[in-house]
Amino acid sequence: MEKVIMGNHAVSYGVQLARAQVIAAYPITPQTQIVEILSEFCADGRLDAKFIKVESEHSVMAAVVGASMAGARAFTATSSHGLALMHEVLHWAAGGRLPIVMANVNRAMGPGWNVWTEQTDSLAQRDTGWMQFYCETNQEALDTVIQAFKIAEAVLLPVMIVLDAFVLSHTMEPVDIPDQAVVDGFLPLYEPEFKLDPGDPHAFYGLVTPDHYMELRYKMHQAMRDAVQATQRIGAQFGDVFGRPYDVVEKYRIEDADIVLVTSGSITSTARVVVDAWRANGHKVGLLKMRLFRPFPFEAVREALAGTRKVAVIDRNISQGHGGIFAAEVKSALYGASQQPVLFPFIIGLGGRDVTPESIHSILNHTQSHDMPAEESIWMEVKK
Amino acid sequence: MSYEIVFKTEADMPLLPMSLGSTLYNKTGSWRYVRPIYRDKTSPCNHACPAGEDIVTYLAMVTEGQYEQARQTILQENPFPGVCGRVCAHPCESECNRAQLGGAIAIHSMERFLADLPAPRALPRLEQRDVPDARVAVIGSGPAGLSCAYQLVRSGYEVTVFEALPAVGGMLRVGIPSYRLPRDVLNAEIEGIVSLGIEIRTGMRFGEDLGFEDLTDYRAVFLAVGQQRSLRLNVPGEDASGVTPGVQFLRQVNLGQEITVGPTVAVIGGGNTAMDAARSALRLGASDVAVLYRRSRHEMPAIPDEVEEAEQEGIRLEFLTAPVEVLTENGRVRGLRCVRMRLGAPDESGRRRPEVIPGSDYTVDVDMVIPALGQEADLSFLGDRGQVERGRIAINEAGVMSRSPSGADRSPQGVFAGGDAATGFGTVAHAIGSGKRAALAIDRYLRGQALEGFPPLTAHLRVAPRDVDPTVVRFEDINLAYFAEEPRTVQRQRPAAERIKGFGEVNLGYSEGDALKEAERCFSCGVCNQCDTCWLFCPDVCIHRLDSGAPSAAPGRQAYEVDYDYCKGCGVCAEECPRAAIVMEEELKWRK
Amino acid sequence: MSYDVPDQELMTPGHVACPGCGAPMAVRYALKALGEDTVLIVVASCWSIIAGPFPYSAVKVPLLHSLFATGGSVASGVKAGLEARGLTDTTVMTLAGDGGTFDIGIQALSAAVERNEDFIYVCYDNEAYMNTGIQRSSATPWGAWTTTTPVAHPKSQPKKDMVAIMAAHRIPYTATATVAYPEDLMRKVKKAKDIRGSKFLHVLSPCPSGWKSEPGQTVYLSRLAVETCVFPLYEVEHGEEYRITVWPRQKEPAEKYLRLQGRFAHLEPQEIRRIQDNVDREWDKLVVKARASGQMIPQ
Repeated sequence: MEKVIMGNHAVSYGVQLARAQVIAAYPITPQTQIVEILSEFCADGRLDAKFIKVESEHSVMAAVVGASMAGARAFTATSSHGLALMHEVLHWAAGGRLPIVMANVNRAMGPGWNVWTEQTDSLAQRDTGWMQFYCETNQEALDTVIQAFKIAEAVLLPVMIVLDAFVLSHTMEPVDIPDQAVVDGFLPLYEPEFKLDPGDPHAFYGLVTPDHYMELRYKMHQAMRDAVQATQRIGAQFGDVFGRPYDVVEKYRIEDADIVLVTSGSITSTARVVVDAWRANGHKVGLLKMRLFRPFPFEAVREALAGTRKVAVIDRNISQGHGGIFAAEVKSALYGASQQPVLFPFIIGLGGRDVTPESIHSILNHTQSHDMPAEESIWMEVKK
Repeated sequence: MSYEIVFKTEADMPLLPMSLGSTLYNKTGSWRYVRPIYRDKTSPCNHACPAGEDIVTYLAMVTEGQYEQARQTILQENPFPGVCGRVCAHPCESECNRAQLGGAIAIHSMERFLADLPAPRALPRLEQRDVPDARVAVIGSGPAGLSCAYQLVRSGYEVTVFEALPAVGGMLRVGIPSYRLPRDVLNAEIEGIVSLGIEIRTGMRFGEDLGFEDLTDYRAVFLAVGQQRSLRLNVPGEDASGVTPGVQFLRQVNLGQEITVGPTVAVIGGGNTAMDAARSALRLGASDVAVLYRRSRHEMPAIPDEVEEAEQEGIRLEFLTAPVEVLTENGRVRGLRCVRMRLGAPDESGRRRPEVIPGSDYTVDVDMVIPALGQEADLSFLGDRGQVERGRIAINEAGVMSRSPSGADRSPQGVFAGGDAATGFGTVAHAIGSGKRAALAIDRYLRGQALEGFPPLTAHLRVAPRDVDPTVVRFEDINLAYFAEEPRTVQRQRPAAERIKGFGEVNLGYSEGDALKEAERCFSCGVCNQCDTCWLFCPDVCIHRLDSGAPSAAPGRQAYEVDYDYCKGCGVCAEECPRAAIVMEEELKWRK
Repeated sequence: MSYDVPDQELMTPGHVACPGCGAPMAVRYALKALGEDTVLIVVASCWSIIAGPFPYSAVKVPLLHSLFATGGSVASGVKAGLEARGLTDTTVMTLAGDGGTFDIGIQALSAAVERNEDFIYVCYDNEAYMNTGIQRSSATPWGAWTTTTPVAHPKSQPKKDMVAIMAAHRIPYTATATVAYPEDLMRKVKKAKDIRGSKFLHVLSPCPSGWKSEPGQTVYLSRLAVETCVFPLYEVEHGEEYRITVWPRQKEPAEKYLRLQGRFAHLEPQEIRRIQDNVDREWDKLVVKARASGQMIPQ
């Protein structure tokens, strides 16, 4: 069934179709519509789930951890400061190997208060052990929610689905909402191996000494490695069932490109338009969309960018004191490659400043006209 | 079984931090430097009982409704519970720690309750191996003699008891009136002992009808002749008619002989004999009975219950007075001249010495005077063998009669002595304990073993001892958090007006409900009674109940076990034990 | 057996509580009252360590270790998760110390009980942050020494009244208990188990290490706390009906309780008097509330 819905609602439908069993959430702009509609679904029975109206995001993630450990399929959504507030619990969820799915609407961190889109909030959590997917469209958001539960439950790591504030969250797009029965076929009910069970009692998450801690972390590391293949496998399966396959990255007109733009989130859609325009003018440019950010898809990125002369990474985020985070990670992936491209790291669109086709034209122009990046990070459109 | 879990590689480990076993792998016992030990201590009642009864154990059995086992526990040590439960001065109750929280446990009434149970009276035998084939002679069938005979015959020895009087029982029969000790109770208990196979020969007075030379077939002799002679008043007129010494008076009463009592009777003395004589005289028809005692009530040696009952019956007690002359007319008593006394410094008995108040003479008219100043032993039969000290046969801790330094020892037997004739204690319970001590010594003697290691005569021996710490538990050792003040149950008694009409039993004893209720009040001082408090409070769950068994199943057997693999030695168990049955000891003492 | 206490043990030895610690006693009794169909949530506190390290556990029920501030929130999630799985009768019990209840965890606790989540919250109160080495909490009593309220400047604020705070939420059941009265504690836990909604138990748990008391005297101290009315044992239903459940046989002077603890050794007589006055005042207020609720109390 096709509906024109905002990104937030696309997430909600995805959660409903995935038959989440426990949802805990705390409102924060621009996430509120996700939980509002889920709240309605729970109240009128369209979704058979318990909705816990906790009093803060720290409690949100704690409740979701509890529910997941109790053996239920659990979901939540947040943004920005809410995500930051639950930081210690994110570690607990990941180290706890819980297949929790969370939607994070990318929003800038204050102060000053800023509700518009920026990626720093989710990227700042990249060390917690959560998987991260960056969505380009509302359709992708819905589809990724469904895939996320399957991936999470396969590798036993929590998954964060990220979408841009307002640009996706509040923008209406046509979205195909699959049939429940088809989704049920793709995503069976959650049957956890490890759970709180009075019939088979264990203590979870107690003191682990240096003798054992490292091995447990090693196992997480192995799961993260396996998660790349799991994402690809499940993305391909999704394609078979729903007609829309997904991979860890998407290569757009990249085969013979001299310059490849690396983008994520809704900027990708804008970039596609610009790539087409440059190609129409005879320039060999291409686009690499980063969909899976954690675990970092080293192989896919290296393979996509092999032989490219120049790479322009677009970061709508900043790690103060270093630079754009996608740029840093892509650069590290390319280190040691026999033919390393020159990487131009661009910072743009912080605090929700609009990224237009003109912006991307400027980026490509700069990349084309320079042999090397002039600075460690190239800040675009700053009023100087 | 080892609970330890070892991972060789990460592949052995679970995917996430979860438990795969319990903390039993962790032997926290290594932490401690003191450890709790269950060690029963001595209950004050046991410590005080001259007959050596295991009172705390049989009270516990009563709480479990195991009355027959309770009675058997008494019978191991004392074949006369029916007697003692009526006439004993119950020093156990005087030491009872419960006295300070609602009143001492009525052990006396409890013993009587158990003795009176309507059950077959089979007295327990003792399993003994290789009992030498020997005969023992017991002189005197009072409580000391019969106690000794009982312990010997149940061990397998042949015993003959020689009794001077025509009836058996000594002072039990001829000294204690039947309103205190009914004849059927006494007869049944004596019969129980005799039916184990003792030969009793009455009418045989030692020193007259037989002597040591007649006892050559006996390898041991136990002298238990008691104190049969009344002390004299030592005042003019004391041999007039109408002056009857207390012991003689009571003997006549108890043997059913005809006696006339004057309408006005004065009993001189403050002990049980005086009370018995006064109350018997009343029952025989005297209209006015007074007891004259030279000290005050506080110093009276009589059992306080007896004094109280006498007063209830209308007997007047006059203190701080003593006769100085028996006034006679035609050789018959007509009155007493007395003087008033006051109390001075204590004498060798610890009691304050009475002093005559000069010029305080006064006269009373009486028809009968019964002096009851105490008794002494008639030891003329000893001749020059044996030593007499302070009017009694001298013995050592084993009850062996000390040989006279002058006389050559002509007797081939081991000669032992006990009871009132040898010790100074003067009560039925002491006599029973004394007879038992002698039996234990005689058994060793007959086996050719050395008679060493007997505790002093003030200690109370046991045939079936429990392994306990000799420390006596006192009130401050009891954890009062676990007890509420509850009054003791007093046995029912017939009203005074009714009971003085005859010699029927005054006290009516306990019902089963009374006994259970009273036994529940017992602190069980120093003796674990499985209250579960230690088990309940152990923070390390390392006190375990050993299976089954009410306390009576095996008295002294441990009901709990500390798992020393885990016990941290915190001491909560010892602190909370309501009855000081747990001690904390240094761990180093126990580590090998 | 003279105590009305279930035999089943759901806690094992080998746990690493200090000798004489009240906390394992509280948990042992609570688990006896609740039985096997229980999920225990333990937030950061001494019990996080007492429970034993990976891969061992000191309890025979499922145990979820959780972050310090999450006692109320994790329990809400666990309960929802269990119900989603159809385990509607399994009891969810949060075990937290005074730190995780009065201080860092108060927000999540307040929110959970305001929502009337169906769980039992048991706070074992040793009156300071003991696991980190005896630092003051808002549950530390006035005048007590801790490492952050040294003798030169002991705790100068009164102990926070957590029961009043819970009662103000009007939850179905709030109660105090302590380890010297296991049957009272178990009755209250059992009562809580049979109520749907939020139940809060405040359990005084003596700590020999932090109170500087004799390990063997933990039960004695706990009893004295009740007999001196320093820590009365009572319950509150729906925030309104008060009932005192254990009466001191004889009200003892607070000094008797204080003098057994090194953490109060520095107290001057006038400070002890102040503590006594406070104890008396609070006890009188409690008696008034109980009487007003209909409990028969002679004047």
